[in-house]
Amino acid sequence: MLPNESIRRVLDAGLTNGADLAEVYLENKESLSLTLDEGRLEKATQGNDIGGGVRVFYGNNAAYAYTDDLTEESLIEAAGVAAAAGQNANNAQVCADLTKGESPVESRIERPFEEMSTQEKAGILREMDEVTRQHSPHIVSVQCGYTETRRRVWVYNTEGVWAEDDRAFIEFQGQVAAQKGDVRQSSATGIGGQIGLEFFDDRDPVKMMPEAADTALLMLDARPAPAGEMAVVINNGWGGVLFHEACGHCMEADFITKGASAYTGLVGEKVGPDFLTAYDDGTIPGRRGTMRFDDEGAPTNRTVLIENGILKEYMWDLTEARRAGRASTGNGRRQSFRDMPMPRMTNTYIDAGPHDPEEIIGSVKKGLYAKRLGGGQVEIGRGDYVFTVTEGWLIEDGKLTAPVRGATLVGNGPETLRLIDMIGTDMSLDPGRGMCGKGQWARVSVGQPTVRVPKLTVGGTE
Amino acid sequence: MDYLEFAKDVVSKAVERGVEAEAFINVGQNTSVNVDRGEVEKLSQAGSKGLGVRVVRDGKMGYAYTSDFGAGSIEKTIESAVNLADVADGDEYRSLPAPQPLPEEDLEVYDQAIVDLPIGRKVEMARRIEKAALRYDERVVLTNRCTLISQYGTVAVANSKGVAGSYDKSFIGGFVMAMAADESDRSVAFGFDFGSRLGDFKPSAVGKDAARKAVGMLGGKPVPTQRASVVYSPMAATSVLGALSRALGADAMQRNRSFLEGKIGETVAADMVTVLDNGRLPGGIATRPFDDEGVPTAATRLIDEGVLQTALHDHYTATRDGTASSTGNASRRSHSSMPTLDASNFYFQPGQETPEEVLGGVEQGLYVESVMNTASINPISGDYSISAKGYWIENGELSHPVNEVTIALPMQELLHNVKAVGNDLTFVPMMGALGSPTIRVDGVMIGGV
Repeated sequence: MLPNESIRRVLDAGLTNGADLAEVYLENKESLSLTLDEGRLEKATQGNDIGGGVRVFYGNNAAYAYTDDLTEESLIEAAGVAAAAGQNANNAQVCADLTKGESPVESRIERPFEEMSTQEKAGILREMDEVTRQHSPHIVSVQCGYTETRRRVWVYNTEGVWAEDDRAFIEFQGQVAAQKGDVRQSSATGIGGQIGLEFFDDRDPVKMMPEAADTALLMLDARPAPAGEMAVVINNGWGGVLFHEACGHCMEADFITKGASAYTGLVGEKVGPDFLTAYDDGTIPGRRGTMRFDDEGAPTNRTVLIENGILKEYMWDLTEARRAGRASTGNGRRQSFRDMPMPRMTNTYIDAGPHDPEEIIGSVKKGLYAKRLGGGQVEIGRGDYVFTVTEGWLIEDGKLTAPVRGATLVGNGPETLRLIDMIGTDMSLDPGRGMCGKGQWARVSVGQPTVRVPKLTVGGTE
Repeated sequence: MDYLEFAKDVVSKAVERGVEAEAFINVGQNTSVNVDRGEVEKLSQAGSKGLGVRVVRDGKMGYAYTSDFGAGSIEKTIESAVNLADVADGDEYRSLPAPQPLPEEDLEVYDQAIVDLPIGRKVEMARRIEKAALRYDERVVLTNRCTLISQYGTVAVANSKGVAGSYDKSFIGGFVMAMAADESDRSVAFGFDFGSRLGDFKPSAVGKDAARKAVGMLGGKPVPTQRASVVYSPMAATSVLGALSRALGADAMQRNRSFLEGKIGETVAADMVTVLDNGRLPGGIATRPFDDEGVPTAATRLIDEGVLQTALHDHYTATRDGTASSTGNASRRSHSSMPTLDASNFYFQPGQETPEEVLGGVEQGLYVESVMNTASINPISGDYSISAKGYWIENGELSHPVNEVTIALPMQELLHNVKAVGNDLTFVPMMGALGSPTIRVDGVMIGGV
């Protein structure tokens, strides 16, 4: 991007007022998105977002300034703005030699996006649309979208960090609405990964559409969900979003060091059943949360969050690691050069357990099977959460008896985790559509096996 | 730099390629200050700029954007937009709007005092937010993410039909999370306040609001599952408005994606329900002279005493409708997105009763102070099931705190079941700006223990 001599001068400018660490972050993001609606390729957008930011640390505090003009002069100006927060003109720190960092994760792009024409990409959306419309006469609306993003980042700091990463993402989305009489229901689906055009070697976005249509059709005839406390079985894969939201966020270091999290001070304590182990792993090839280095230049890790029910580790970024006098776990992420990093999850999942998934459903006398979850929200401090069940089934005497619509799950994350009494052998990661919001957006993966919670509040209308 | 002239210049360059063209420019300065125990923990300052180019040829639309205003980058952006339009499918209703006279009035969305505010004052305001929260009650044990944000900038829009306009806008706001704890429980709550003008923003109100909610919820428990009356705080009532604003968009109605489709002229709500969208509300957070494709904003009565009057329109949906005109609701999140239909200042018209009188009418029920997961409310089906926190109402008064419950009722029924509307209209900065007074809805299913 810029020569290292330029970077050195920007870093030096960041140190002028007594900072103990200065960092430069550069980013070049290119994206293309296509939307097909009512059978027409309606929206086609392409763009480029380039910029950089300079962050300087004074002990536990940091100042940041950024620019969308990537020249040495503009970056030095930004460094000056950030450095102005300092008081001490006696600059003791010097910039260490920049050393190109090594990561366990390899660069992953085999076939760049340019090898396929925009017209061909649009053609896939047309096929997705057609297949869905032909699926049933009750389908009244189909929307499909394709997005490709290539995000290259460079991070340098005065401790000698020099890290480069090149992240490419493909995402397909679909939304289907079905109608009978006055009743309308909709269903959303998606598939994707951190990958080049080799995505198409083993994945077919067209296939997910009839499945989404089936969910919308099924929900047309579904009865309203029951309300009240009952046993709940949550499906594998995307179902892991519940662990991500309700527990994972409470293990991010920013809430931990403040004492604001339900998990503060609980490392070494029992937080779940003996057969529960959970990871945050930023190194899994091809996943949305995977990075060679995080957005602060730290190599990513496979972090054991919970082992056999015991809380082992939190997720750390540089700011919180400095505060605690330890190393980052490679969880410092930012939405763009306009944002300061914070601790974020990467690919987070509950590992396989001892129970046969069919036996788990078979064990429930009366309850709810959450086959598909929608989005959810958590209050990070206390861990109170809520989730939408986009496809739910009643379980009666160990069998799925009737689809239900409009169900919501509500509870407290740490409490729910302790309550889990069965974990399946069928661990799987989600199909690649996870987007996590915490003031900034970050692409993530989630996963889990089939999980049973013996008692959970379900919000329905019956 | 004169951004309007620059936008016009981009348009004239694009037109040379035989397309209709539009340029949208957004330039701004942003500061964010984060305070922890009086210290400036994080401070971010910068300027940003962006250009979005939309072109239409034979009803085919393409869009490209850049943050680089150099001549080479502009050429490349125009070329990308033109190439993408070639890939898109034609739509006979797709065009760019023609200019309309812009009313001359001060909408009070730009305050020089925000522009001139020194960084020291901003830090001081962030500290006041935190102090107000910590001093409210000894059970407030800590604050987190105590943040002050100030922004100002310019928007310019020009197109090849002759639309040309620009305006300045400012914003200041703050938020904080307060945590309260006693021997047996802990609870957290967010407080916030904001304004387009410096005088509208009250930092200490942010802290107090968060602290009051957090302390009040200590010892909260679920109630038994039952059907009951629910009284929504203005903040909680915006859960209804967000989904309603999407269902009232003409794009949703024209594409079979609204539970209100085909209901214009029909009674869709109780007669005390009137819903308005006003892009010209003086000082409003979503107020602006024209929308993001250059059409003058307007005040639109969507539901009048329970009867559905019209939908929200942008230039495309109005053209497609044939008889409607744009209500000035084209919006973009930034220069990197093409305009889509969205509400501006969207709100329930307030009634006569005080919030106390609304509460006083309820013998047994739930007062909902805050809600979560409102994004799950489905404007296509009308399915509405979210989580709620608040207080149990006994004989018209608040008694014990309630949490970890859900409230559910299809939107179609919910609108008909509105039984009281308060006089305390309050706005929240979401999807533009959503505003509601305290409202009472009967027959809501509460999911608890």
